[in-house]
Amino acid sequence: MKIAGLLLTLAGWLIPVLGLNFTSSNAARLALCLAGMAVCLTGILGVLNKAFLRQAIWKQ
Amino acid sequence: MRLCRSLTRCLAAAALVLACGALPSWSQSQKAPAAPEAAAPAPAAASAPSLSAPLEVKEANPPAPEDLAKGDPGGALTGTVNDIPASDAKKGLTLADTLNQVGQNKVAINFVWTLVAGFLVMFMQAGFATVETGLCRAKNANHTMMMNFMVYGFGLFAYWVCGFALQMGGVGATANLGGSAPLNSEFTIDLFGKTWGLFGTHGFFLTQGGTYDVAVMVIFLFQMVFMDTATTIVTGAAAERWKFAAFAVSTFFLGALTYPIFANWAWGGGWLSQLGANFGLGHGYCDFAGSGVVHSVGGLTALAVAMIVGPRLGKYNRDGSPNAIPGHDMVLVLTGCFILAFGWFGFNPGSTLGASGNGALRIGSIAVNTMLAGCTGSFGAVFYMWIRYGKPDASMGGNGLLAGLVAITAPCGFVNTVCAAIIGLIAGVLVCLSVEFFDRVMKVDDPVGAISVHGANGLWGVIAVGLFADGRSNYGGSWNGVSGSVTGLFYGDPGQLVAQLIGVCTLLGFVFAASFVFNWFVDVVVGQRVSAESELEGLDIPEMGALGYPEFVLKTYRDRAPLGGIGAAVPVRT
Repeated sequence: MKIAGLLLTLAGWLIPVLGLNFTSSNAARLALCLAGMAVCLTGILGVLNKAFLRQAIWKQ
Repeated sequence: MRLCRSLTRCLAAAALVLACGALPSWSQSQKAPAAPEAAAPAPAAASAPSLSAPLEVKEANPPAPEDLAKGDPGGALTGTVNDIPASDAKKGLTLADTLNQVGQNKVAINFVWTLVAGFLVMFMQAGFATVETGLCRAKNANHTMMMNFMVYGFGLFAYWVCGFALQMGGVGATANLGGSAPLNSEFTIDLFGKTWGLFGTHGFFLTQGGTYDVAVMVIFLFQMVFMDTATTIVTGAAAERWKFAAFAVSTFFLGALTYPIFANWAWGGGWLSQLGANFGLGHGYCDFAGSGVVHSVGGLTALAVAMIVGPRLGKYNRDGSPNAIPGHDMVLVLTGCFILAFGWFGFNPGSTLGASGNGALRIGSIAVNTMLAGCTGSFGAVFYMWIRYGKPDASMGGNGLLAGLVAITAPCGFVNTVCAAIIGLIAGVLVCLSVEFFDRVMKVDDPVGAISVHGANGLWGVIAVGLFADGRSNYGGSWNGVSGSVTGLFYGDPGQLVAQLIGVCTLLGFVFAASFVFNWFVDVVVGQRVSAESELEGLDIPEMGALGYPEFVLKTYRDRAPLGGIGAAVPVRT
């Protein structure tokens, strides 16, 4: 779960960076950036943090 | 009057030589639309005096020795042509000597400006220390203070060993500081037909690659205190349960690798700064003083560490509802906020790396933007808390001030005062929402709000450049190798916003991931969190061997735990 969150976070970074080569349209690049940010935040807050909360100290 | 006329003639002669192209920065400013009179002196250039011909010093009417011997209470006799050294005493003073002195004066002004700004930023460590300690409980005061104290040493050492070289080793010449030519080696790769700078390779130990250089030393000091600011952010989010040894290792890694790598991409000539030149995205990633480079890097690392370390005992109930754990000294907190606001005048205006040349006179505008955003940031937070909870919360007022300052750090050099006020106001509200979000929804325990103040608002500041940059700044005619001024979406350049958002994705994706992986490794190998017993007891004795406030707590410990270190020498009161 933690590894998946980490990979998702990294993927969110690579989406807009690799997208630089595929389009020169600002609108398309903007969309890729927003998608990348969403993927990053999902990886960090949605997956990684949830994995840590499963074994949170206050649940024990 | 004679003295004034003579000096005016000297300066006019100097201006003629400069107009002939003696200094490249001048010829750049010729292209700028704001210098319509620049071509005027050209016809007279043919009659410019020889650089090596002796000047008639008497025309400058230097003060006589007998006048100087009487003292100079008005200051009119001090600092005259007598103070310009001649390179050849036999020949006397020449125009070349005068011009060299003019050049050295410019660089000297910029050296002093940058160094003093760096000293102010260094003093921000005291502000961070007091804010974080005040927001923690008294039983952890010594531990929190010591983390903030030692972060300076650990970070500095790591940055001197390799961090600076990785960050600035390939930045190239810095015109305001007289060159710094030794910083000229960047490791690059070719991708998509473009060159991507990844890290510098000159400046290890500040000697390798010819970097034993006066300008390099100035850049090092200024950049080092910025890096230290990023590292000290993390200590707040992990306070009251972080092992001191794990903190030391984590800080060393942040100062040696994570921070320098991202800072190279943004400030050291790396690929983010070249997004404009390589892909036509505005002026590339622009971060004037470090909302992203310093604050987001610190804030996102703080998030990674806070997630790994976990919340403090007692922060959350079994049903997941949070408990407020108030700090022990609000006076210390607000005093620290003032110290930080004072230091920010080094942080932002100092990032021009000079007060003379290349548009550096914009320091006044940058300082006012900084003040305004801090002011509206505290307004935003205080009014939000007042409306939502019925009281103008003091700690959130302080965090609002800091949030405004963090958010304006990237755009301070590119926006006008109205935009600065708006950016700060949004930051003030954002920090309150973000604190509630992390505390209640994400259940990430952040005792001082560092993730929200620095992480969330750092990212907001980076985005704000892409929205609000007004295209009126002019730092030597270009920025990141792209001519013209940085202009945001609201002033007509959507490409700048794209560059900023790529920076945001890099911060979230690369910086967070790198910090997480390393700190996770430390957690697995040595452990990041103290024992439950130590945490309940307070970390002062178990981790540091001495209490922050022995007179307050000593009776509590009398029969429970023997005092070690300095604490052992404190007599027990009965």
